[in-house]
Parts: sequence; C-alpha cells; structure tokens
Amino acid sequence: MGKNKIWKGLTELRNPERSRLLKEQEFSAETKEDFELSQLGGISRRKFLALSAATAAIATTACSNYRDKGSIVPYNQKLENVLPGKPNFYSSTCTGCANHCGILIKTREGRPIKVDGNPDHPVNKGKICAIGQASILNLYDPERVKKPIKKENGKSRELDWDSAFAEFVNQVRSAVSRNQEIALIAKPVFSPSTARLLEEFKKRFGTTTIYTYDFLESFAKLNAWKQIYPKSDLPEFDFSRAKIVVALESNFLATEGNFVKNIRQFVSNRNVDKPEEFNRLYAFEGDLSLTGANADYRFPLHPSLFPLLLATLINEILSKYSNRLLNNKVPKDKILGLVANQNLENFSGKSGINKSYLELLVKDLIDNQGKALIVTGDSLSEDVHLLAFLLNEILGNTKLYTAKPKPRFSNSSFDDFVQLSKKINAGQVGVIINVDCNPLFHFPEDLGLKQGFSKVPFVVTLTEDNNETAEASNLILPINHNLESWGDYYDGNNLYSTIQPVIEPIFGTFQKEDILLGLVNGQLRAGAFHKFLMDFWKKEIYPSSNFGVDFEQFWFSVLHDAVYIPPSNTVINSYEPSFDFIEHKKLIAELTNDWTLVIKKPYFVGDGKYMNNGWLLELPHPITKVTWDNYAAISENDAKNLKLENGSVVKLQRSGKEIEVPVFIVPGIAEKTIVIEAGFGREVVSVVGKDVGVNPIKLFGLDNSSNGYVFQDIKIIPTGKFRQIASTVEHHSLNDTGLKDLHKSRHIIQEGTLDEFVSGKMEIHRAKELISIIPEVKYTGVKWAMVIDLNKCVGCGACVTACNVENNVPIVGKDQVVRGREMQWIRIDTYFSGTPENPSVSLQPMLCQHCDDAPCENVCPVVATNHSPDGLNQMIYNRCVGTRYCSNNCPYKVRRFNFYDFRDRFADGYLYKDSLRLLNNPEVTVRSRGVMEKCTFCIQRIAEARQDALANGRQLKGTDVKTACQEACPAEAIIFGDMHDKDSELYYWRNHKLGYFVLEELNIKPNVTYIAKLRNKKSEEVA
Amino acid sequence: MLKSQLDYNLKVRLPITVFVVAISYLITFMVSKPERDGVGYSPDQPIAFSHKLHAGNMQIDCKYCHISVDKGRFATVPSTNICMNCHSVARKDRPEIVKLTQFFADERPIQWKRIHRLGDFAYFNHSVHINKGIDCKYCHGEVEKMDKIRQVQIFTMGACLECHRNPHKKMPELASKVNLGPEFCGACHR
Repeated sequence: MGKNKIWKGLTELRNPERSRLLKEQEFSAETKEDFELSQLGGISRRKFLALSAATAAIATTACSNYRDKGSIVPYNQKLENVLPGKPNFYSSTCTGCANHCGILIKTREGRPIKVDGNPDHPVNKGKICAIGQASILNLYDPERVKKPIKKENGKSRELDWDSAFAEFVNQVRSAVSRNQEIALIAKPVFSPSTARLLEEFKKRFGTTTIYTYDFLESFAKLNAWKQIYPKSDLPEFDFSRAKIVVALESNFLATEGNFVKNIRQFVSNRNVDKPEEFNRLYAFEGDLSLTGANADYRFPLHPSLFPLLLATLINEILSKYSNRLLNNKVPKDKILGLVANQNLENFSGKSGINKSYLELLVKDLIDNQGKALIVTGDSLSEDVHLLAFLLNEILGNTKLYTAKPKPRFSNSSFDDFVQLSKKINAGQVGVIINVDCNPLFHFPEDLGLKQGFSKVPFVVTLTEDNNETAEASNLILPINHNLESWGDYYDGNNLYSTIQPVIEPIFGTFQKEDILLGLVNGQLRAGAFHKFLMDFWKKEIYPSSNFGVDFEQFWFSVLHDAVYIPPSNTVINSYEPSFDFIEHKKLIAELTNDWTLVIKKPYFVGDGKYMNNGWLLELPHPITKVTWDNYAAISENDAKNLKLENGSVVKLQRSGKEIEVPVFIVPGIAEKTIVIEAGFGREVVSVVGKDVGVNPIKLFGLDNSSNGYVFQDIKIIPTGKFRQIASTVEHHSLNDTGLKDLHKSRHIIQEGTLDEFVSGKMEIHRAKELISIIPEVKYTGVKWAMVIDLNKCVGCGACVTACNVENNVPIVGKDQVVRGREMQWIRIDTYFSGTPENPSVSLQPMLCQHCDDAPCENVCPVVATNHSPDGLNQMIYNRCVGTRYCSNNCPYKVRRFNFYDFRDRFADGYLYKDSLRLLNNPEVTVRSRGVMEKCTFCIQRIAEARQDALANGRQLKGTDVKTACQEACPAEAIIFGDMHDKDSELYYWRNHKLGYFVLEELNIKPNVTYIAKLRNKKSEEVA
Repeated sequence: MLKSQLDYNLKVRLPITVFVVAISYLITFMVSKPERDGVGYSPDQPIAFSHKLHAGNMQIDCKYCHISVDKGRFATVPSTNICMNCHSVARKDRPEIVKLTQFFADERPIQWKRIHRLGDFAYFNHSVHINKGIDCKYCHGEVEKMDKIRQVQIFTMGACLECHRNPHKKMPELASKVNLGPEFCGACHR
C-alpha cells in the first residue's frame, strides 16, 4: 500500500503544492481579498429608490388582479319551463329490450342525467331494470360512431352525411333495378309508425324483405306453444294471481319476459302482514339463478331430467287425482298415453330429490288449480315447454295467461336466416341493411353471414356504436340513441306509448327512421320521421280517440304521459287448446346424464349491446358477484373431479367448434352441468368492453332451434391456463366449518318460515339492552331511517345501478375490482347456508346504516365524518384527508375509498372525456383521489325536498324524500322516511315484529331495519 | 470588521434582501387580502349595466330579473329576452342598449363576468334564504346603490357561519322569523 499512492485527482498527483493550498484554505483567495468599506460607498439614493421600486413592484404584481371567476352565460332566449338548477322530467319509452318499459327522464339544463320508470305506465308502474337505469351512459359514450364511415379494401374513412347517403340511395336503387333482394335486418318492430314506414319502404323498393329477430329467442317455446294452441299467441303470466309458481330453469325474476313486471307481481304476494296470501315458489334448475335463489324450495336438477319431471307430474296428477281435476276438457287417456310409466319413486331415484317434496308439489298444484303456474326457461327444449303448457292446461292455469306484447311483424324463424344465407351465396341479394342490430354477433358462424357479407355488393349498418356487423359492412351510418329519437310503441293489445327526444343528437347523428324515410323520399332530413310519426297518429290513432280535442292537444297530452290507452279496450285472449299433436308425439328420449351445457340470457348486458357500458359490466352478477366477465359455472364436485378452481380455463368442444372459457364454481349447480351466459365476448367493441368474457354462441350450429339452448354433445377439457376473475364474493369459505353459517350465527340474516311466523313460534334475535359509553343524543324533528323488506327484495340490482347514476359513482375497472376497490355505495350481499350441493341463498342489500353511534365517526382524526341533527352520518369530502380509519372501523364495510381518481385512471381517462362529463349529477360532488365516500341517504334529494317545503311554507315530511334506490326498486322493498312520524309506513315497518338490525349487539344503533325473510316452507324442513 | 466580500454579502446584502422580501410579502398580504376574498371585485361587464339605475332609481324588484332566486339553488343571471322585455322599446338609441340589441339579434348569449363564487364543494341555495325572508343585501351589499356591480362580502365558510350562528345580531328585523342557521356539514356539503 505504501508504494501505491492514492490520489483523488490529477491535480493532487501532478501538482501537490497547489493541492496542499486548496486543502488548507476553505475559501479560495479571490473571495477573501481584503478591501476597505469606505471605498465601497454607502447605498446611494438611486439604489435605495431602485430597491423601493422593486418592493412596490413585487407587491403590486402579486395583487394587481382579482382572480378571474369565469363568466355566467344565461340563455339568449330563455326556454320555457327550464330553470337552471331545477330538473325537468319527460316521459318516454325505453328501447333497451323488447319489454319497452315506460321511462321518466330527468334532465338538468337540457341534458338527461337520470332515467327512471314512468309511474303512469300500466305495465312497469314507475320501475325499470338495471339496464334501463344505466342506458344513459350509452347516450354519452364518447366512443359512439360520430360520422358515416366507409370501408373499402380493409381501410375505413369518414364521409360526410351527404355523400354517404347519396351512395346508400344509389346502391339501393341499383339493387332494385338489378332485381336483387334488399335484406333489411332489424330487431322486433313494435312501433306502429316504424312498421308503416317499413311497409312504405317495401312498396318503394319492391325487392325488400324484412327480417326481424330477438337475441336468444326461444324458438322451441314458440313451436311448442303453436302445437298446443295453434290459434293464439305466446302469452305472458300474471304472477300476482299465482299461489304456486314452479320455475323450471326459468329466470322470470331477472332475465325472462317483462321481469320488472314479474318481480312486482310476484312480490305482491309476499307481504308478511298478509300471510294467507303468501305464494310459494318451487324452482328446479341446473343453474343457480336469481329466481332459484328466491325460491322457497329449490332443487338442482340436471337439464336432461326436465321432460321426465314434467311427465312424472302429469302422470301423477292424471292417474291419482283425476277425480279432483276441475278441468274436464282434457283428454286424460290420450295424455296418459304420452306420459305413461312415470312415477314419483322413479323420478326421485333418478334425480335424488326426496319424494316427499314431490308429493308436496303435486298436492300444492292440485289444491291450487287455476292459481298455479309452471314456468319454463327460454333455454329449454320443445318437449319441456310442451309438457309445461300441457300441465298448465290440465290444471286450468291458463286463466293466469296474459297477452304478451306482439311485434308488428312476426319474427323471422331461424330457417328464414338460413334461407337468407343461401340467397346471399346465390348472388340474389343486392343490399343488406342492418338496422340497429348485430346479427354477426348474435348468429352462429355456421350460418355463413360473415362470409356472405363480402359477396353482397353493399352492406350498410345503422348503429350507435361500432360492432361486429358494422366492422364487416361497406358503410356504417351512426344513429341516434333512444333519448335523442322520436318514436312510438304498441303492445298489440291496448297500450300505446311514445318516445320523445330529450336532447339534440350529441354527435350530429340521425335517427334510424329518418335514414330509412330518407331512402323512401330520396332526401335525408332530420326530423322527417317526427312529421311522419305525427301524421301517422293523426290519421290512424287520433280519430278513434274520442277526446273531443284537436289533434295538437291530443298529441301533446299523449307525449306528456307517454302512455295512451284507446277507449275501445275490448281485447279478450282465449286460449283454445288442441290435443292433436299427441298422436304423433313421442316424448322422453333416452337420457344422457352426461355433461350438458346450458346457454342462458345474461343479467345485465342485454344482447351484447351493453358491452360498452361500464356500469353494467361492473354490476356484480346477482349470485356469484362476478364482474367484468362471464364464465362456465360448474358445481364444486365437478370442479374437484376435473381439478379445476375458480378461473381455470377449460376448452369446451362441440362438433368441431370450441371455445376457451374460465370456470367459476357455483354452489347449487347440478352436477355435470355447465352454464354460460351469452352476450359477452364482443370482439369489436369500445375500449370498455375489450376482453370481457367469452362468446358461447360460437358453439352453436345450425341445428339448435328445437332443442333450445341445451347442448348435450359437449366435451370439457381442462387447459391448465388461468384467467383472473373479479368476484366480490368468496365462495370457498362455504366449506370452512369455522365460517359456516356465520351470517346466521351473527344474526346478519334472520329467516324463518311462514308457518313459524303465523303460529308465533318465530323469534327474532334481539340484542340485550346494553349500556353505551357514548352520550345519548336527543333527536327532535325529522330523523331519517330506512327499512328493507327482505321478503320483497329479489336482488335484481336495479338499486345499485340507480345509486351509481344518481351519485356519480365511478367505474373502476376489473383490475381494481380484483383488489376489492369497487366503489358502489350499495351492494347486495349473498349468503349461502346448507350444503354446497343445494344451498339456501339469502340476499341482503347492504348500504351505510347511518348508525346513531357510528363507529366511523369516533375515529376520524379530522372530523370529516360526523352526525347531522336529522340523523344522517355525513361524509364531508373537502375535509377528508384519507386516513381510512373510518372504513377500518365500519362493521358493515360500506365505506369506499378513492384509491385513485378512478375517472382518470379507468381506461385512460375514459370517464373524463367531454361527452361523459355531461352525465354527472350536478347536485353531487365528483369525488377526487384520496377521499372516502359512502351512501348519503341521497342527501341531495333531502336538501331539495327541504327547499321545496320551505318554498311552500310547510314542514318537511318524511314522505317527501325518495332515495334513488327506493325509487328504482321494482319490488318496492325499500322504504325511506322519518322515524318520528308515527303515521308513516316507515314507522310501522321499523317497529314491526319481524324487523331487526344487522349486528345489533354492537349497540351502535343502526338506522336501517331489515324485515326478516319468511320462506313458505313446511316448518320441519327448514335447514 | 468587514473584511471580505463574503462578510459584506452576509451582513449587509442579505438582511436588506430579507427585509425587502418580507416587507413585500407583508404589503402584498395586506393589500391583496380583499382581492383574495374577492371583496371589491368589479370587472368590466360586456354591457355596462347599472343596478343603481334599475334597482335603485326605478325600483325594479330583484326577482323581476333574477327569476329563480326563490325557486332554486341559483338566482340566475337574466336571459337576454328578459332585458328585451323593456329594451325592445325603452332607450333603444343608447350605445349600451344597441350592444344589447345586437347580442339578442345575433342570438349570441352574453358572457357576464361572474362576481360571486363559492367553492364547488359548497351547495348554496338561494331559495331557502330568500324564502326565509333574508334580504339579498346581507350577502350582496346595497346593490341598488352600485353603478357597477361589485363584491362586498367575503364568501368563505367563516362568513357563512357567522350569520348562521348569530342571525339575530346580523338581521335584527328577522328575529321573530329566523331561528339559527343550520351548522351541520351536510347542509352545504354533499
């Protein structure tokens, strides 16, 4: 070491003397040169002035201006009835699905911010589903198509409307001149004026053929119906008059038929104060559906056993109870021939369902003839539907059939589309016009439409957003959202309703009828269909109205209500059966108790149209709480045998087709049964719906029309791959003995049976009187509280969506849901009890309980959450610093933290795009990153009610306020109001003997009362 | 004493600089206080509208123009057609009215400069105050004496609470009508 010199730099190495000096002297010589102060001279006058000036300048530049506060821009010409800050309501009709519910649109300063049900509508009576609630997001979707797009040689370019329309007209005209077919493909047309327009279209362009279809339409059901009732149309059911409902793979409470109406009618017989009116729901299903979850008796049943079940029931009833049957018109022997050799023991042995339950069911059906309904799911095969209709006929239940809304043109059959495909291949089709539909996504690939499109000279798609069909078209024409359009609706019986626009087309689009009318007239003009519509009403509907007012008055009054029932209201539906089919019918094919795939309708994405709607994709599946995905639901035992876990990807194979889909283990699913919800897996979709789910329609062939959507020739092959599934519920805890039935031992869920309740044996667990260390606060005046009747709640999710829309709840995306950061203020908890093979499901909406002695309030270091004198647990965003102590201390886990500015984070600031900003409710703060939030009991609505009360000089009443969830609930399970108002409904239910608080023994005095659920079971069988 | 440039810098220049900066800050703070609070803010408006003339001399009721003040959260700046109710006839030749007429004829909305503004997290409601009989002047000052509208009061939470806590001191004439203003957070923040 001594030899090798260590040096820091070349100076030290080469010039040691200089280096020594540098080390000794802290400052270099130049800085400490001696100098005489007297030589410097003092601060000169000039310098002083300069300094003063600088001081003044700094001061003045800092405050020479007031902060600009922007400007206020009033209307030039004030609109009638529009006051800034006050909402306006317009009634219209929802076109989200074939149900066409009446809607009431809330607009602020001319922009729609909320959609609710139209209370004047006789069918949905002021309620709409989650899709209807969330459909407003589609209106503002920044990824809507905004300009006509022409696709040529794989390239697409924007066109202006004039040239796009001119090309469209030329193509249609030349196709007609070549005598080629113009195929117009659309969803079922319920609008009488659109139907008239299409007739004129056909007249103008003689080679037109109109194809209409509905997604996953049950052709099997229709065929079965036509065999037994050749003269009548497929009916709907009146659940309000049904004492016994038997649901076979039917999800009539969530996806099938007009489920908003079904929910209302079904729960109308679930009032605990009228136990004698209680209905009883039996569910036999392979899947665990929301309907099954609400059933009094639910039995997992392999889908292949449905025909056998019905045959057994019919045989039992006809052979044993034939003398008690009220309906004498059925040819009993003939039917017995069809279903011979079936008995309960046999079926019980095959299905594993205890015989006593089946006997109970038969007895119930016999005791309630004419007051029971056997309802079959749309996925099932023709035989099942046929037997169910037959059983309803035998029992005289056709009294409960009501007319189903009937489209203006009867829907095309699957064969019609096969024919279309053939015509395309033969070069007979000149133009295909897809009107607001997505056939390439909805129909199996085997149909060959996609290849066919390239053989057709011109394919045009009228659509709101880009989709598979548009992608394969020559021209895409963007169209208006429902809230930007004119229109009408007729249910085929006695109900008209109207559609009116509530906002100018945001992206300068045209409504689809305007474009079609433009083709007829040769000139595209916005508002043309408005005039056409009014002319139609003036000529066709007004003359029979007998209102004694001129048309204009009539028209505006119809528009105002959006509902019109003509005076001559004499439609009687009779259902005249024919039993001729029995002769050449052979039922009960050999059972294959093997893997069976059931394709069902999805809960929240409609026909796939809502795959760009983040609110709906993030709305947890009612049973599994899965968001942002569909999956193959299988039973736990099957998963164990195949060594699969949640998220394991399997390959499903069927006659040469295959899809890869993640599995999800669902308790209560029948063994060897796979259930997949369709509508997911859109390939051409906006950024929101990218990589969401799998499309099971890819497994369909051309053979599926009469077997329904149940496939037995299915192979399931584990792939070893894995896909993360974002579920907000953890199923594995079910088998853990430590956690088993936790919700019941802690009295989160309290349930009993109707018999127990009626006989007074049912006891609600109450906490002992406890002493609180928190000083008691005396509340005077209005104090807010809520009651949720679990007998009525079916768990449909409308409340969650309504809350999202009302309270500006952001979409967080799948990756954040996986981390448990979903932001919904109200959630529906699912609890299972019993065995995983056939669990009992309890659903419970959970939201902030606004506890009087709220544990969250005590721990907030900045008092950002505290109590108001009207009993609200307030959350003050501008005070919150984000410690999350409150959330940590909340026993109900209802507080939500903004880990990010989710609007900015989700899909690259998708929710901050201009058009989506218009969506926000201006009465509710848009929360930023780092603050806590939670249910406020809709404090903005309370404030509005208080303002109105004051303006009218009266006291605020509890009934003045309806929360968003309450307003949306189709079952009217939510009651909100003033707990001090002794005459109110809320007071009654809050003090009801079945009412209880969740986690009452914590003594934190929550203000949401739950009414214990009663199951209409025989007492001894309760689990 | 002062031996070097460094000493000079530390002992003379630095104190002077600190002094200048501190005094500047203090003056800035004092002088700009009303401006930060917005008091005295009186920007030029697109049309030189005089409240003194309309509300003072001619005694036009506030609600004739601010139509929503007893109906909703916002008092609303009047839409141009309300001005034209009179000015399609009255004083048509004055330059400001010519400007107004031009705006109206061109269907161009007038961009009035905003004077009073609360934070976005505060949901003030005009109608509840007006319907309780509280006069506009308690917040907006004696508008009828202003040729050019300006802000008179501070619009901070402290200022709101001062009235809410002592309404009778502030508004003796309402002693029999008004109790206490609400003080809970949710009254204004949601």
